[in-house]
Amino acid sequence: MQFGIFSVGDVTPDPTTGRAPSEHERIKAMVAIAQKAEEVGLDVFATGEHHNPPFVPSSPTTMLGWIAARTENLILSTSTTLITTNDPVKIAEDFAMLQHLADGRVDLMMGRGNTGPVYPWFGQDIRQGINLAVENYALLYRLWREDVVDWEGKFRSPLQSFTSTPRPLDGVPPFVWHGSIRSPEIAEQAAYYGDGFFHNNIFWPADHTKRMVELYRSRYAHYGHGTAEQAIVGLGGQVFMRRNSQDAVREFRPYFDNAPVYGHGPSLEDFTEQTPLTVGSPEQVIEKTLGFREYAGDYQRQLFLVDHAGLPLKSVLEQIDMLGEEVVPVLREEFAKRRPAGVPEAPTHAARVATAAAADSRSGSGAGAGAGVDKEGASS
Amino acid sequence: MKLVVVSAGLSVPSSTRLLGDRLANATVERASADVQVVELRDLAVEIAHNFTTGFPGPALGAALDAVASADGLIVVTPVFSASYSGLFKSFFDVLDPDALTGKPVLVAATGGSARHSLVLEHALRPLFAYLRAVVVPTGVYAASEDWGAEGLVERIDRAAGELAGLMTGLSAGRAASASGSVSVPTQGGAELVRGGGFEVVPFEQQLAALRPD
Repeated sequence: MQFGIFSVGDVTPDPTTGRAPSEHERIKAMVAIAQKAEEVGLDVFATGEHHNPPFVPSSPTTMLGWIAARTENLILSTSTTLITTNDPVKIAEDFAMLQHLADGRVDLMMGRGNTGPVYPWFGQDIRQGINLAVENYALLYRLWREDVVDWEGKFRSPLQSFTSTPRPLDGVPPFVWHGSIRSPEIAEQAAYYGDGFFHNNIFWPADHTKRMVELYRSRYAHYGHGTAEQAIVGLGGQVFMRRNSQDAVREFRPYFDNAPVYGHGPSLEDFTEQTPLTVGSPEQVIEKTLGFREYAGDYQRQLFLVDHAGLPLKSVLEQIDMLGEEVVPVLREEFAKRRPAGVPEAPTHAARVATAAAADSRSGSGAGAGAGVDKEGASS
Repeated sequence: MKLVVVSAGLSVPSSTRLLGDRLANATVERASADVQVVELRDLAVEIAHNFTTGFPGPALGAALDAVASADGLIVVTPVFSASYSGLFKSFFDVLDPDALTGKPVLVAATGGSARHSLVLEHALRPLFAYLRAVVVPTGVYAASEDWGAEGLVERIDRAAGELAGLMTGLSAGRAASASGSVSVPTQGGAELVRGGGFEVVPFEQQLAALRPD
């Protein structure tokens, strides 16, 4: 099981002081947060992608490249990468480059974005959101697996004899999670490819998450990638902790009450009850997070949102300290204890290289790992 | 069968609720059905929160499910500013837009004056036409004076008869199709697959639809 943090990269004024960080401060804070995650032994740092204020992370591979140079173990990921408005060729190249520089510590999460005007800004039509996600990923999938690609589609100029460079490290592309909150088509897409499915459940009730994960798991099994229990699931969550739960509630309430994503709606108490939000002691976070497996099954990746709603960097770093020192070690042990045999660990580059090598030696082809895999043939 | 009454009456007791109950009683006299009343005033805060959070709270979620699974619906609103109340509209704004497709709906309204009676035709009927509901021909409007006048009982009876007829007819149709072979719903020729309560087009078909000819 992998644990980490994911950032949206919002610039939100601190409601207790009225002060908003500058973009420069916020960007530097995000990389400090990533370095802290490495320091306390978390597995993953993921950044969002946005192209409009009040968000800063428009260029994830630039940021992740900087973090890659200053970390040793952290897996660098996204939450999300816009498969709808980015050119899939550029995604293939950017993330392959990052993968080399980070020695394989890279995966990414595909998403469609939630800001309507981004589509026309990048020359796309929001009504084609799902179709763009389907076609662009189908191209990206091939660019990482076939050395020379001829391709023609609806949304991009055709490619003749195109080779995306650099080729993926060790011939194994970055692992892909498909993130979706409410589109069953994306759960179906993740299942079809045998990729991961990340349900960002942070603003959603458990029964909705349960249904989306059920759909993905049943379709994953349908497409022959393994049993439903072996499907690769990730979940979100958001926490604010203090030793004493009353202190956590008292300190977080003004942030909750004024946050663009929560504020002026349901109470902190109602929201905590209905969604994964946990405001309290480390023990409460452990208990609630362990409860996720009761409706999502045994899953592979848990990402926490901790740096939002205008919280000062100091408080955020304290959250990551608590996650690393008190929460995650217990969760690792408890999740491992509960996980039935046969449910796989979260994918890593090393494990995927080993799997590809084993598959090659069985088939005796000796071809580059993963190269030339014919997904369409394999699943029909 | 299940009959759900959605009442947007705000006071207790409420003449809007009273009209809803009269219509429900007249309907179940003609077609046996369990009646559930959804009082929107109890859900006002959750409805507002649904707009900002994107998901319904527990009580609103149960009400939306009840409406979506009903065999017939009676909707009653007081008239506010020449139309249905904002609370009434808000409830149908957070309802899944496909939830009422093909569902028989009886529209009714209350108001202080008979001058607003056409609200049924210029406001409620278009709303439910948009939602692809089957609106019964007779709508029932009750002004304050109607509670002491002739004619209201007859209008209630006629509308209830129309609703009961549609509910019975449609449920007979459903029973007939259920007893035959199981038909797989299709969308543009694509078979849908189910999982987690969702229906999706299989991925190969999504992909195939995008391939150049």
